[in-house]
Amino acid sequence: MKLLFELNGVPQYLDVEPGERLLRLLRRLGMKSVKEGCGTGDCGACTVLVDGRAVRSCLMVAPQVQGRRVLTLEGLGSVDDPHPLQQAFLDAGAVQCGFCTPGMILVAYELLQGNDDPSPEDVRKAIAGNLCRCTGYVKIADAVLLAARWKQEGKWR
Amino acid sequence: MSGVHARGVRRFHFARDVEEALSLLAAYEGRGALLAGGVDLLRSLRVDIEGLIDITRIGLSYTKEARGGLAIGGTTTLTSILESRAAREYGGGILADLLHRVAVPPLRNMATLGGALVSAHPWADIPTALVALGAEVRWQGEKEGRVPVEELYQGPFRGLFRQAVAIEVLLPPWDGAFAYEKVGRTGYDIALLNACCGVGVEGGRIAWARVAVGARPDRGERLPWAEEALIGQRPSQTLWQEVQDLVAKRIEVGDDRRASGAWRREVAGVLVERALARASGRAGM
Amino acid sequence: MAVETRHRGAVGQSVTKVDGPSLVAGKPVFTLDHDVPGALVGKILPSPHAHAAIVSIDTAEAEAVPGVRAILHHGNVPRVPYTTAGQGWPEPSPYDTVLFDRKVRFVGDRVAAVAAETEEAAEEALRKIRVEYKVLPAVLSPEEALADGAPVIHDEPDAEGIYDAKHNIVAAVDIPVGDVASALAEAHVTAEATCEIPYSQHAAIEPHGVIAYFDEAGRLVLRTSTQVPFHVRRIVARVVGLDPARIRVIKPRIGGGFGSKQEILLEPVAALLALRTGRPVRMAYSREEVFIASRTRHPMRVAVKLGAGKDGVLQAIDMEVLSNTGAYGAHALTVLSNVGSKTLPLYNKAPHLRFRGKAVYTNLPVAGAYRGYGATQGYFALEVAMDRLAEALGMDPIELRKRNHIRVGETSPIFEKIGEGREGTAQVVRSCALADCLRIGAERIGWKENRGRRREDGPWVHGLGMACAMQGSGITGVDMAAATLVMQDDGSFRLLVGATDLGTGSDTILAQIAAQELGVPVDRVLVYSSDTDFTPFDTGAYASSTTYVSGNAVLRAAQSVHRQILDVAAAALGERPEVLELAEGAVASRKTGRRLTLGEIGHRATYVVDQRQIAATASFTCPESPPPFAAFFCEVAVDRETGVVRVERFVVAADCGVAIHPKAAEGQLEGAILQGIGHALCEEMLFAPSGRCVNAGFFDYKLPSSLDTPRIEAILVPSEEPTGPWGAKSISEIGINGPLPAISNAIYDAVGVRLTRAPFTPERVLLALRAAGK
Repeated sequence: MKLLFELNGVPQYLDVEPGERLLRLLRRLGMKSVKEGCGTGDCGACTVLVDGRAVRSCLMVAPQVQGRRVLTLEGLGSVDDPHPLQQAFLDAGAVQCGFCTPGMILVAYELLQGNDDPSPEDVRKAIAGNLCRCTGYVKIADAVLLAARWKQEGKWR
Repeated sequence: MSGVHARGVRRFHFARDVEEALSLLAAYEGRGALLAGGVDLLRSLRVDIEGLIDITRIGLSYTKEARGGLAIGGTTTLTSILESRAAREYGGGILADLLHRVAVPPLRNMATLGGALVSAHPWADIPTALVALGAEVRWQGEKEGRVPVEELYQGPFRGLFRQAVAIEVLLPPWDGAFAYEKVGRTGYDIALLNACCGVGVEGGRIAWARVAVGARPDRGERLPWAEEALIGQRPSQTLWQEVQDLVAKRIEVGDDRRASGAWRREVAGVLVERALARASGRAGM
Repeated sequence: MAVETRHRGAVGQSVTKVDGPSLVAGKPVFTLDHDVPGALVGKILPSPHAHAAIVSIDTAEAEAVPGVRAILHHGNVPRVPYTTAGQGWPEPSPYDTVLFDRKVRFVGDRVAAVAAETEEAAEEALRKIRVEYKVLPAVLSPEEALADGAPVIHDEPDAEGIYDAKHNIVAAVDIPVGDVASALAEAHVTAEATCEIPYSQHAAIEPHGVIAYFDEAGRLVLRTSTQVPFHVRRIVARVVGLDPARIRVIKPRIGGGFGSKQEILLEPVAALLALRTGRPVRMAYSREEVFIASRTRHPMRVAVKLGAGKDGVLQAIDMEVLSNTGAYGAHALTVLSNVGSKTLPLYNKAPHLRFRGKAVYTNLPVAGAYRGYGATQGYFALEVAMDRLAEALGMDPIELRKRNHIRVGETSPIFEKIGEGREGTAQVVRSCALADCLRIGAERIGWKENRGRRREDGPWVHGLGMACAMQGSGITGVDMAAATLVMQDDGSFRLLVGATDLGTGSDTILAQIAAQELGVPVDRVLVYSSDTDFTPFDTGAYASSTTYVSGNAVLRAAQSVHRQILDVAAAALGERPEVLELAEGAVASRKTGRRLTLGEIGHRATYVVDQRQIAATASFTCPESPPPFAAFFCEVAVDRETGVVRVERFVVAADCGVAIHPKAAEGQLEGAILQGIGHALCEEMLFAPSGRCVNAGFFDYKLPSSLDTPRIEAILVPSEEPTGPWGAKSISEIGINGPLPAISNAIYDAVGVRLTRAPFTPERVLLALRAAGK
C-alpha cells in the first residue's frame, strides 16, 4: 500500500507491506539509530517520536504513521551539529555502549518539550521505559537535567 | 523475532467510522482485527490475521465529564487521560494514581483504555480499577449495548469484542475517593498483586465502599463481603485493619510463576488496608 | 611519573568519548547497522527438549521452501569438538561442543540452521524441518546431576577435557592451605553462610549479531558483536575447517557484552552458511534466543565457614562451591576457580584456607563469562559470613574488615595456588587504598549514625549494610595485548589496538594513555579497534584487562614513538635527544629553547630527510594482576508487610589506581552496582519442569529501570599502581561483587533476617520474616 508520512521533516511517499513493522521500515530507510533490542516493546531501544510522542516502533505497523510526523535521532542533530540534548549526553558521560542512547535521547526530548524544569523524579519517570544495562541511569539522568538547564538558559535552538 | 513482520497481514484500513470498522471486520470473517494502540495486538499477532482495521481516527479519543462522572472514548490513550483536566479530579485523583503505575510513558502514549478493557489480562491494573469504579462500557456491534465491566468480565466478553467496538467507558460519579495499590517486581512491572478501593462517608459513617483485588493471579474482582464489612462503620485505622484480616482470611488466591498464593493471601489484605487508608484520607475523612 | 605531568595531560580528564559523537548522533556503527547487499538471513532451529537423541532429520520439505539456500545439521557439517568460550591458549574449557550434534542437551540447543533469502522464508523452513527425537531423562539441577545413576549428559566419545564425564562433573578443584579443619575447631568464634545465586542474564541491550561476507579477494569477513575478535578468528577457522589466513574478523561498536560476547556462538554457523551458499549471511539472536541460547551467569551454591580469634583476626576460611554450568562447560573451570582466587586473598590474614568445588553439567542453558566471573558468587557468601562473624564477635563489620584485609607489600598463597584453570602466579600487592575506601564510604553513608538504628517509617524499616571486594586486572601468564602507534605526516597519530571496546570507553582510555605520553590532546590520536586484518593481537575484553594489559601495551608503543620523535627532532635541531622535551604538541630544547612542532617533525620524517615511518608496535603480557579494591555501603528499606525491599542509597568507594577517565570509571561502577542490585532484587531465569525457560524476555525477566535505581554514589579513591599504565588498575567488574552481600546485610540490619538465596523477592523476604516470627 502507499504510505505518505513525514520522516525527520522530509515527506516520504512509498510502497509498504501493510504488515511491515515501523521499526523495519525506518531501518530500511536508513534510520539505523532505531534499534531492535527485544521486539516486544519492553526495552525502548526502538523508540521514535510520532507527532511528538514517544512510541515503540517495534509494536507498530508502518501504515499507522500515515499522515504523521516521525522523528528519529537522525532528525535531531548530527555529528557536526549535535542537538543540545545529544551534547549533554556526551558531556555528562551518559553514553557507554550507546545502543540505548537513541531511544533514551528521544524520550528525554519528549519530556523536555513539555517541561522546561523537570525534577530528577520527573526524569526518572520519563526514562523508566527505556532499559540501559551499562550506566545505572545515573549519568543519563544527569544529562537530561543538564540539557534542561541549557534549555532554560535559552541555549536550545 | 516477533517484532519484524506481522506475517499474515495483507491489508490495512483506516476505518472512517464505527459502522465501517464493523463492516470491514465482518467481511474478514474472523481474520481481521481492530487496531487501536496495538500494544497487545502487535506484541503477539495471530498468524491468521489478514486485515488490520485502524480505529484511532474515528473520533473515539476523548475524556469528558458526563453526568458527574466521566466518559472516556475507547481509543483514548492512557497518556491523554492522564493529561485531561476532567480526569484529574475524578474519584479523588484515582486515574492519575492508577495510570502512572501502568506500563511506561512510551507505552502509555500508545495503549488505549478500550484496549486495556478488552485485553483484560489477569495481571493488568486497569481491569481491577474499572471493576472497583463500577465502570460501564458502551459497545457497538451488530447491536449496541451498555454493560457494567464487572458483569462483562463474568461472561464470554472476548467473543463479543471480536465483533464489536468498545465505544466508550463510562465512569460513574462517586461522592468519596479511591486509591490504587500495587506490588510489582520492579518499578515498571505488571502487578504481582493489585488492589483498588474506594469509600464515601455520610454522617460519620461509611455510606459506600468498593474493594477490588486483581492479579490474584486471576483478574481483578470485587470482594462484596469486604465492602459489607465496611458499610455503616465509622472510618478508622482499626476498621481498615479488621478488613485487612478479613481479606487475608477469605480472599481466593492462587500460585503462578510470579508469586505464590500464600504470599498473595497475606499481601492482599495489606494492599486493601493501604488503599482504604489512602482513599479515606483523600475523601477527607 | 610526576603528578604534575598527569594533571597537565590527558590522563585523569573526563574527555569526550572518542566514539561518543557518532553514538549520540545514531550513526550506523553497530554490527547489524551495516547493509550488505544480497545478504541471506540465517536462523537456528532450537531444540524443544532438554535432553534427547536425534533419531532423524528430514529437510526435504524445508529445502523446497522458495528462497531457502542452505540447511545445516549434524549430517552435513564437519564434527569438530571445540569450546564456545573465547579464551586464551591453551583453552581451559573442555571441548564438549560440536556445531550440530546427534544429541541435544537443553531446550534451545541448536539442531539445525537455515539460510534463506528472507526472514520469512527462513522461519518457514525452520517449521518444516522434520526432526524425530528420542527423548532422554533430563537433569535439571546440580544435585540431580551428581546423584547415583544420573543420566550422562556428555557421553560422546570425542569430547576432551571433561573432568569426569560419567558423573557429569565438568571441573573440580580442591586446594588446601594449612589445616582448615583444626583451625576451625580451635577458633574462638566461627561463622558461616551458604548463599545461592540462580540463573541470570547479562542482558546487554544489543542482541548478538553477525554478518558473514566475502571481500574482493574472496576471503571470509565476519563483522560481529564480540568481545574477542582474535579468538573468533582462531576458533571459527578450526571449526569450519578454513585457513585462519582466509578469515578477517571486524569488531565494530558493540552494544554491551558483560561477558556474554566472550563466546563464539553465531559466528561459525554464519561462516559455514556463507561458505555453503557463497553468499553473505546475516544472523541475529532474538531477545528470546539471547536468553535461552547465549550465555548466563553460573548458578551456584557457595558455602563459607570462617574461624577467627577473639581479636577478630581470621584463622581459617573454608569455601565450598557447587557450580551449575548447564549443558556445556564454557568457562566452567575458570569461573569455578575464580570464586576462590578473587575472594580469598582479600582476607590474607587467615593462615588456613581450603577452597574446593565442582562444576557440573545439567540440561539447562549454558553458563559462561559474566562480569565478576565467579567472584560475584563468592563474595555473596564470604561477605554475608563476615557480617555474621562481626555479629558473633560483637565487632563493627568495618573494624572486622580492617583487621583482616590485605595491604601494600603483602601477599596471599592463593595468588600462586589458583589461577585461571591452573596454577596462578605469586604476586605482592603494590597498591591498595581499601582502608581509605572503608573510611570514606562509611562517612558518606553515615555508618556510625545510622547502622543498627532500624529507623522505621510506617511499614518500612531502614537498615544499613556493607561489603568489600577485590578483583584482578587481567590474567597472569595468559593475557597478551599489543598496540601499534603510527605518527602521520601531519603530526597526528593513529593508534591500532586489538583491544575490544564493547561500550566501556576503552578506546578513549587507550587514546588518553597514548596522548599523555605524547603530550597531545586526545583528539590528535585516532583510535581503531579492532580488526584482525589491521590491528595487532589482543586476547580481548574480559577479565578486567583492557586498561591494564592493553593500556600497558599502548604506553610502551607510545614510549617508543616518543623516543623516535625525539631522535628525528634531535637530528633536525642538531641537538642531543637528552635535552629535548616533548610537550603540548611540540619538541623543545631545554638548552636553546628552539622548538619543532609535531607537524613539522611528521613532515620531515615522512618527506624530507632520512625518511622513515615513525611507528611502534609493542606488546604486554601480564606478569601480575593487580587487584582493584572496593568498599560497598547501602541503605535499604524493607516493607515488613509485603516483603518489598527498596535500595534507598548505594555508596561505593573504589580504588582503581589512577582513574584514567574518571567519568568512565564511575560509569563502570554505577552500571555494575545496578546490575548487582538486579541480582539482589529481581533477576532470575525460571524454568518449567520440562527445562524450558518460561521468562525468556524483558516482560517477565525484570531488569532494574530508572525507577529502581537508588542514589548511587561512586567515589574513586586514588592509589597508584606502579605496574599500571599511568598508575591505573581495572574497574569494570569489581562493582558487581558488592550489592548482593551489602543488600543482604542491610536487610539483616533492618529486620533481622538473613537472605541467602537471590533474588530477595517480596515473597522470599516475607517468608523469611514470618519464619523468624516477625
